[in-house]
Amino acid sequence: MSVTVQIPHPLRTLTGGLDKVQAAGRTVAEVISHLNSEYPGVADRVYQGGNGLNRFVAIFVNGEDIRLLAGDQTAVQDGDVITILPLVAGGRR
Amino acid sequence: MDRSDRYSRQVIFAGIGKEGQEKLARSTVVVIGCGALGTVAATALARAGIGTLRIIDRDFIEYHNLQRQILFDEEDVRLQIPKAIAAERHLRAANSAIEVEGVVADVNYRNVERLVEGADVIVDGLDNLETRYLINDVSLKQGMPWIYGAAVASYGMMMAVVPGSTPCIRCLFPSLPPPGQNGTCDTAGVVNAVPMVIGSLQSAEAIKVLLGVETMGLICIDVWSGQFSRLDVDPRPSPDCPACHGQYEFLDARFGVRTTSLCGQNAVQVLGASDARLSFDEVACRLSPIGDVDYNEFMLRFDIDGYEMVIFPDGRAIVKGTGDESIARSLYAKYVGM
Repeated sequence: MSVTVQIPHPLRTLTGGLDKVQAAGRTVAEVISHLNSEYPGVADRVYQGGNGLNRFVAIFVNGEDIRLLAGDQTAVQDGDVITILPLVAGGRR
Repeated sequence: MDRSDRYSRQVIFAGIGKEGQEKLARSTVVVIGCGALGTVAATALARAGIGTLRIIDRDFIEYHNLQRQILFDEEDVRLQIPKAIAAERHLRAANSAIEVEGVVADVNYRNVERLVEGADVIVDGLDNLETRYLINDVSLKQGMPWIYGAAVASYGMMMAVVPGSTPCIRCLFPSLPPPGQNGTCDTAGVVNAVPMVIGSLQSAEAIKVLLGVETMGLICIDVWSGQFSRLDVDPRPSPDCPACHGQYEFLDARFGVRTTSLCGQNAVQVLGASDARLSFDEVACRLSPIGDVDYNEFMLRFDIDGYEMVIFPDGRAIVKGTGDESIARSLYAKYVGM
């Protein structure tokens, strides 16, 4: 399956500045793993060392939060859009 | 001067109407944090005729604020007026028909419930995630909607949290990121269009919440790359969200940044809110363009604005050059991030 992954601003240092990339896989976990082979370091920002998904990063498949689907085992289809969203802080200073 | 048509363009808009306008006039909105987001949102809400606006902020205005904090001017910097007071004056000048109250205060778990008393909606104009999680707790505890907004570099996010109708911020992001993971306005900068867009969207969401209109979901924008997205968030609370299940961990001060003045040393220790470990390589990469950085595997030393920060891998920091805990906390939020 080929999907589009939207890369959030803080992770673009890992993708050479690209804001969206194509990746392959049958599940979100496989897509992240494929992404990590192309752009090393992405998995470290999404997973907490062997302890599941990071709890300050949300991942959506076609706009649906994977925490309410099957987590990183959520199946993906050709043409799906995966959005990785770390929580954003600034605003006042 | 005939002021009867002040809100005419809002009243003829079918979504608001005369009844909606009257409802806004009876409403109270509390804006917490009056910087880039807060000045934009408060301006829009004051001009829209929200009956009572309370603006809370702990800081003074500096020149570098003027690039994006649209309520303030050079005279405010010269007179060294607190942001909350300057905001009150400017908003009163823009609309004398509403009540505006500027409150100079640092919002924390001890005072937050008193500060938001009577609010129909809270608007987030904050610069750190920890206080946002505190607001999230208060919102859920009291059934009081709040409008999350954030802006860094060229991107921003916004979401209305309406208890009972939307998930909360901890449903989507259960934990705080490690300090500095995603940059702050002081390390990554900010394009002024971002808080202007996000603050404006927050004001629209606040008005819609007051009028009982469905909110937009999670909005993400990037004004540089041109990505604009709206994510429909599932209205069900996350089954393992502590805040949605009555555990107000930030309000109960179980988490959160703690500061301790180190007696006689003109230094303050800051304990981070996250238990994740820091990557000194990443921290150094962010901080080296703005100050002197030196590090080994045990500690990172950073000199800025006459202060010295010594940061440890567990997120703990010693801020030297001040005994004032709020200054240390503010420096930590700016340069390490929370």
